[in-house]
Amino acid sequence: MNKFQYLFHTRSGRKNFWCCVLSVVIAVIFLFPLYWMLQISFKSDMETFGKVLTYFPHQFTIDPWLANLKDKDFIASLKNSFINGFLTMFITLVFGIPAAYGMGRYKPKGFKAFLLVFLVSQMLPASLMLTPMYLTFSKIHLLGTYFAPTIAIAAGSIPFAVITLRPYFKSVPVSLDEAARIDGCGVAKSFFLVMVPAVKTGIVTIVVISFLNGWNDLMFSMTFNVKPEMRPLTANIHKFQSKYGTKWNCIMAYGAILVLPVVIMFIFLQKYIVGGLTAGAVKE
Amino acid sequence: MKTQIRSRKDRECYPFILPAFIYLLVVVGYPIVYNFVLSFKNTNVKNLASGSSVFIGFQNYKELFTDPTFLLILRNTFIFTIACLAFQFTIGFLFALFFYKKFTFAGPIRGMILVSYMIPMSVTGLLGQNIFLNTGLINDLLSRIGITGPEWLTQTSTALIGVIIMNCWVGIPFNMLLLISGLSNVPQEVYESSSIDGATKVQQFFQITLPLMKDAIFAVLMLGFIYTFRAFDLMYIMTAGGPLNSTDVLATYSYTLSFTQYQFSKGSAVAVVLFLCLLIVGLFYLRLIVKGEEDT
Repeated sequence: MNKFQYLFHTRSGRKNFWCCVLSVVIAVIFLFPLYWMLQISFKSDMETFGKVLTYFPHQFTIDPWLANLKDKDFIASLKNSFINGFLTMFITLVFGIPAAYGMGRYKPKGFKAFLLVFLVSQMLPASLMLTPMYLTFSKIHLLGTYFAPTIAIAAGSIPFAVITLRPYFKSVPVSLDEAARIDGCGVAKSFFLVMVPAVKTGIVTIVVISFLNGWNDLMFSMTFNVKPEMRPLTANIHKFQSKYGTKWNCIMAYGAILVLPVVIMFIFLQKYIVGGLTAGAVKE
Repeated sequence: MKTQIRSRKDRECYPFILPAFIYLLVVVGYPIVYNFVLSFKNTNVKNLASGSSVFIGFQNYKELFTDPTFLLILRNTFIFTIACLAFQFTIGFLFALFFYKKFTFAGPIRGMILVSYMIPMSVTGLLGQNIFLNTGLINDLLSRIGITGPEWLTQTSTALIGVIIMNCWVGIPFNMLLLISGLSNVPQEVYESSSIDGATKVQQFFQITLPLMKDAIFAVLMLGFIYTFRAFDLMYIMTAGGPLNSTDVLATYSYTLSFTQYQFSKGSAVAVVLFLCLLIVGLFYLRLIVKGEEDT
């Protein structure tokens, strides 16, 4: 029986076929808003302002994208978004990986207290930290630096890193660690040379998610970066909206550029993201 | 002897754990305490520089709970959260049941659907602004089936509905993901033996799947509550809390008080109310997790 016959002439084949059809229908409906954003971003001004709502660009143009990319303010915001992402990622990795190792391989005194602090700080609302942090940062002159928002964002992704990575460290066989120790590695050396490489997969997840936390942040960046030229794309949306008025093609291109890195990362690193999101949100 | 070695070995781990632990105490713990203190004072932009703010007890809270705007916002927050939870859990569960089946596209499409969960919430808000325009996608689709859609985001009676729909678009994949992982923990043999006993699919769902997924369902609902109740980005971008506070929630109101009216103490008091509501649900969730931790 060839593949085609299998598809239609067996009961399980037919079932598989109809499930696939249904899943495609679901995906098309569910992801339609993203298509909608994309198609508007390729419309000319005339079509955007037209009386009839069109479902695909009849006059295809990349001008709305160029309008954004040629704008100095836009490029500065884009740069700030990347800085936000990388800085959050850096802080998260430096603090998160060692803590996940400590929590995964040992059961020290106060283990429960540590675990509780990590769990609680992951669930706290940013609103609770916003006002006191603003006042504190203004006292120590940290407002209007890239560190102000990223320090706050990382406070959310460090616990995520600990909770997500801990089971990875737990599952590394003890013998691996012990062999390194027998060979004369100290604690630090065996951590960097043996343990960290052994949990590569988990670390990729942390890299991606912590970058996205920084990239997606609105609240902290908007509040702590008082100057608009320091703000990332997310925090300048309203500013650009008042600049573009009702030129929705330009606004949607702005949104599409903001989504692009997320989608690209998603395409290439999907399995890391999906696995990490599940592990980080529910108990292992 | 053995315990001695073990405790000495255990001490090695503090240099690894403590930096992150102290980081969180300083960056998260200290602001929380400060926030509570602030909420009992009268700090605003005028007395901030001079440091002449004083303690005024529960005055901020008294003012809040007699303020009709605040009560409206409290109501909005609960309506928003409960409506979102109901829809995203139900639809998310249906998606989970469907995508848990084994068919060729199950994996890839399940992953694609997650994209709406990953993109910045502020872009979701931007998109919501566009599709709920008077001449936008939603009203165009409605007009094709003969319904004249309302001016969604410019009237107080419908704006919150628009925000809820956009939030569900993000929440559904999240619920689906966690429920699929819950489904995969249900042992397959239970189904096999029950179908030999002649149980129908519906019976199986209510008598086997649901009871065995109790913990997973509980966790999803509580996490959903925590993430939805503190929502900020979506409203801030999509409606800025308007029209007439109809989409304002605790998080956006706290921000407005602190950073557009510069009444820092009042903003903190709203944040405390937000925190206490989360705490009640959070404690149940923590108990579930810590219990699970002891079992392993």
